[in-house]
Amino acid sequence: MAVAVQFSKVGKRFRRGAVHESLRDLIASTGRRLVGREVHSKRPTFWALRNLDFEIAPGEALGIIGPNGAGKSTALKLLAGILRADEGTIKVHGRLAALIEVNAGMHGDLTGMENIFLTGAIMGMSRAEIKNKLDDIIEFSGIGDFIHTPVKRYSTGMQARLGFSTAAHVSPDVLLVDEVLSVGDVAFRHRCEERMREMVESGVALIFVTHNLEQMRSICHRTLVLDGGECAFVGSPADAVGHYLKATMTRIGEMSYVDNPRTGKTDGRVSGMKFLAADGGEVECVRPTEPLTMEIGFELDRDVDRLTVETALRRDGGEMMVSLNSRHQGITFNAPAGRHDVRIDLPAFPLGGGNYFAIVRLWDADRSELLAETPYKFMLQVDDEGKGTGLLTLPHEWSAIQSIEPMLTSRKQSASPVACEPCN
Amino acid sequence: MHATSTANPFSELIRYRQLLASLIWRDLRVRYKQSMLGMAWAVLLPMSMMLIFTFVFTRAVKVVGGLDISMPYPLFAYTGLVPWTFFSASLLGSVNSLVANRNLVTKVYFPREVFPLSSIGSAFADFFIAGSVLVGLVAYFHFFTRWTFVPSAAIAFLPVIVVVQIVFTAGLGMLLAMANLFYRDVRQLLGVAIQLWMFLTCVVYPISNDGSWWGIVAVCNPMTPIIKAYRQCLLEGTVPTGGAFASACVTAACTFVLGWWSFRKMSHKFAECI
Repeated sequence: MAVAVQFSKVGKRFRRGAVHESLRDLIASTGRRLVGREVHSKRPTFWALRNLDFEIAPGEALGIIGPNGAGKSTALKLLAGILRADEGTIKVHGRLAALIEVNAGMHGDLTGMENIFLTGAIMGMSRAEIKNKLDDIIEFSGIGDFIHTPVKRYSTGMQARLGFSTAAHVSPDVLLVDEVLSVGDVAFRHRCEERMREMVESGVALIFVTHNLEQMRSICHRTLVLDGGECAFVGSPADAVGHYLKATMTRIGEMSYVDNPRTGKTDGRVSGMKFLAADGGEVECVRPTEPLTMEIGFELDRDVDRLTVETALRRDGGEMMVSLNSRHQGITFNAPAGRHDVRIDLPAFPLGGGNYFAIVRLWDADRSELLAETPYKFMLQVDDEGKGTGLLTLPHEWSAIQSIEPMLTSRKQSASPVACEPCN
Repeated sequence: MHATSTANPFSELIRYRQLLASLIWRDLRVRYKQSMLGMAWAVLLPMSMMLIFTFVFTRAVKVVGGLDISMPYPLFAYTGLVPWTFFSASLLGSVNSLVANRNLVTKVYFPREVFPLSSIGSAFADFFIAGSVLVGLVAYFHFFTRWTFVPSAAIAFLPVIVVVQIVFTAGLGMLLAMANLFYRDVRQLLGVAIQLWMFLTCVVYPISNDGSWWGIVAVCNPMTPIIKAYRQCLLEGTVPTGGAFASACVTAACTFVLGWWSFRKMSHKFAECI
């Protein structure tokens, strides 16, 4: 199989603190470095990246996700040749273009047109090549007549659009994209995504670093999760997102778990939350059309006459999707001190495919007092069989009104793999 | 290791020559945009220095009788000041070039030599313009004073001198840009040093090796034979002979080799140390 990019056992070490402490140090260490001898520094070092192994084939899109400081940008900079690895080898076949900072070379005093030539040259295009693509670049950017105006009078979004448009017309074999798509308006972002897909389809190997999980999922074939400089997971984008969010949420849970954050008192604790399928078995993953039961276990230190239990779910740790509150259903529980369980039965869970994280809150309805609250840490996956249903999976039926006959077709085999196994 | 860093440095620079051209062009564009006189500044700066030194040496302190020169003082000063301005502007531009382009150094890969070299390139454009004005000056002194200009084939030697100067400047520029990346003091120091260096060079007065410490400094300083050579081949119709210019060539070549070698050796550290 052809390989576009190959990382084998790549590691990158940084030094903590200042680079050189004194001029005397500098002269001595530079001297030693120049003759190729190892410099023994007393300052501690840390590995920003360690043992990173992966390969990308032409026409493949690899996403890299992970928390801040996980080594994502370091990996891209190593690949681009900006940094040099301390161990391991990196092989790149063909021309590489990096959309890491598309506006880095721009100058405010130059016009949009002049900046296209400058940025193009910085990205490694020849003058003739830029001239050929000039019309496409200007059209793509949507800058229009402002192309002869100095860039300093552009809005931030226009500057970014100009930079990205130029960079998007480099014809690379390997394309690195780091979080540049967060600029620009919705229409432009959509065009960028389309462009990236086009490039991948034409055989470009894409490496896409982002915090926008939705975008990553829609573009990439495979995703690598970096954590603490090491590869924590490689696999399908949906699984990778699940892995990443679970790890993140667990960490948040460990970090900020307080039984009663608002008053500091501990009148209760949530001991757990379980998701059960129709057959009563515990599941991590559900189909949107099947019945679902949630079980919440908790412990109370005192008697609560009117206990309210509330749970809420966020999608991918982002938008709040559902809030279920017993009191809103007219239910409160008369709960003495001790251990209890409550359950919520849902005939279906008609949400879109993705990862959901639940929070649990216990309230004393009489005193309007929060007894216990968990972070968003209970994970539930919804498997919509890769249909990409959006935020919801609504039950519905299609039919023809007149003149055309509905015909059953076999569902198109989806490119993205099914989100999880246990559902099958 | 990395596909791009194993490439031959020469072929890599050649591959990026259009980038070098673009950066030089950007420097020039930006420098003369929003400026009324524009490119005329390239001439006005050495010209005004020439007038200042002419005033100092002929009116204020009146030492011109004592200066051993074979041409009108303004011509002497101008032929020294134009290459010197090229030299000092190149160095002052190079020293800050990596730090000023921090964005590019940390975000985009291409040979880092491009930065100091583009500073030299844009200073060269000014040098070229200021140099062409010399024709007018020579004509003026030829027709309106007792001094006569004798055309000579020695002028063919001019490109050699320019190349030697550029090679020396490039080597020094790379060393300084790299040093300034680690220690910002270098730039401040250079500002002072370049002033002192001018007066240790035969820019506005002649210096000859008379065996004193002064003469020895002059021998070690490659800029003295270089500037002397400009005057010789342009105005005196002779080609520099003797060891001084030859040793300047050797110094230039050594500086360049040392500068480029250490620059390449260290360049992978730039992005993390800047």
